[in-house]
Amino acid sequence: MRISRARLATALSMVLGIALAGVYVVPVYWMVATSLKQPADIFASPPDLIPSPLTVRAYADSVLNSSGVLRGLANSTIVGVATTLVTLALALPAAYGLARFRLRFVNAFLLLFLVVQMIPAINIALPMFVIFSRLDMVNTYTGLVLANSSLALPLAVTVLRPYFLTVPGEVVEAARVDGCTQWSAFLRVALPVSVPGIVTVAVVSFLGAWGEFVFALALTTRAEMQPVSVVLAGLTNAFGTRWNDVMAVSAVVALPIFLTFLFLQRFVVGGLTAGASKS
Amino acid sequence: MTTTIERRTGAPATTAAARPRQRVPLTAYLFVLPAVIFLAATVLYPLVYNIDLSFRDVGLKEIVSGGGTWVGLDNYREELGKDEFRSALAISMVYTVLSVGVSFACGLALAVFLNRRFPGRNLMRSLLLIAWVLPTVVSANVWRWMLDGSYGLFNTVLGALGLLEQEVFWLVEPVTALVAVIAATVWSTAPFAMILLLAGLQSIPKTVYEAARIDGAGAWHRFSRITVPMLRPVSLTVLLLLFVTTFKTFDTIYLMTRGGPGDATTILPIHAYLEAFQFFRFGEGAAATTVMLLIPLALSLFYFRSLRREEAA
Repeated sequence: MRISRARLATALSMVLGIALAGVYVVPVYWMVATSLKQPADIFASPPDLIPSPLTVRAYADSVLNSSGVLRGLANSTIVGVATTLVTLALALPAAYGLARFRLRFVNAFLLLFLVVQMIPAINIALPMFVIFSRLDMVNTYTGLVLANSSLALPLAVTVLRPYFLTVPGEVVEAARVDGCTQWSAFLRVALPVSVPGIVTVAVVSFLGAWGEFVFALALTTRAEMQPVSVVLAGLTNAFGTRWNDVMAVSAVVALPIFLTFLFLQRFVVGGLTAGASKS
Repeated sequence: MTTTIERRTGAPATTAAARPRQRVPLTAYLFVLPAVIFLAATVLYPLVYNIDLSFRDVGLKEIVSGGGTWVGLDNYREELGKDEFRSALAISMVYTVLSVGVSFACGLALAVFLNRRFPGRNLMRSLLLIAWVLPTVVSANVWRWMLDGSYGLFNTVLGALGLLEQEVFWLVEPVTALVAVIAATVWSTAPFAMILLLAGLQSIPKTVYEAARIDGAGAWHRFSRITVPMLRPVSLTVLLLLFVTTFKTFDTIYLMTRGGPGDATTILPIHAYLEAFQFFRFGEGAAATTVMLLIPLALSLFYFRSLRREEAA
């Protein structure tokens, strides 16, 4: 009796699980399916659940042969990589310092990093646009990288600090006795231990900048400087009902996220839940 | 985000405390300084600048040439008197409270569900997390397409199930548009709630459940008497984080409805954006964002205070 009841519960879990998975799979599937349809088939009623004939025309038309989208992809890549580098350069020493030393104001710093993440993007984007206008920095990569790094940095410090907390103080002390400076002890002893954290922060910072929309919208007014997120938002209006083209570009924008989950999932899930599960 | 959780259970804090006390070399501060200066320049300075803007008359001309006359509280008086602002505030609250409530309930259900062992559990967790990490530009576009009145998948499915008599143009009617953006928001935020609540669930010792089972407690009792109270601290954190992130939503709504139809989905961030970037009333936009900031700020203060009180107790 007890066994069959457990089995029933498992079976129910499975059914519920499949339904839930559907809620999350269907939109993604529908995006890909639509992107592989011919323009005319989009308006079929009832819609074809499986595209036939399959065509990659939308990808050719709206991605490969669209200078706007290609430039957007290039812009987003440049901004994403630069944001990642700036964030790591600032966050690694900061997280190490906050973990290794009994600094005064540690809690104040941590609180600062936490509170900064709660500010609505528009609260910063609006004055930043005014400041950048006066400094002639609207429509520059520098402006976008500064804005995106300000979003990525607090999270990066929060994710990295626990890694450095696991480095025993004695190990660092030993390195110091052997003649390492504080700085080289950080570089040679602490950094190698935190490689998984570095990968996590790199991935999360890049993906954050890649999909970021508010700053991108506010800080770029010229089409050739716009990241792909803004280009994609513009397509929906320009293309009207050409949903296969819009979905093709959407799928390309989503691609880095899918690839990340395919190859680097361990780091993303581990990193984003680090603080929550480690304790 | 993660520090709150750490702090609740206090594990890293104890490691730091267990470390032998030593004098902190001055160079130690140099490690932290660049990051602090960077945040001061890119976050705190714009915030202060924004407050200054909110007391000035800044239009397109002043953006280009600099300056802007000091107008005192005029922008605030103007903003708070506007129907658009009041409506945006009301819609913001409705949107945020409903989204947070539904998202928390779904996240909790998902967490309880995923806390069980079943085949495909990890795959399922990954799927949910993809939804959370997916750029909103992508998901908002997919939602728009699925909710399309004439050719959208959603109407087709509802029609096939016999639940729909005629086409519903979801994003064209005020009420359904609000429901639609809430649904899209919950779709992305529930996985975030799930992952934190799941971590909370896994930190409840299995022995507590075993003991309750031996004492004859049924499934519902175990949930309501063990899971719910032991999950309370994490739940408060999750609710706060959900509220703060949902309250500042911009992309989802801007991309799905542009705040429309009319101003049915114009929440405060959208209203402030339109003031500044569409009507070039930067001073008034700045006033609107400054008032808007007070809500998450007050909530966070309240949260930290209750946190401290609980720690003291």
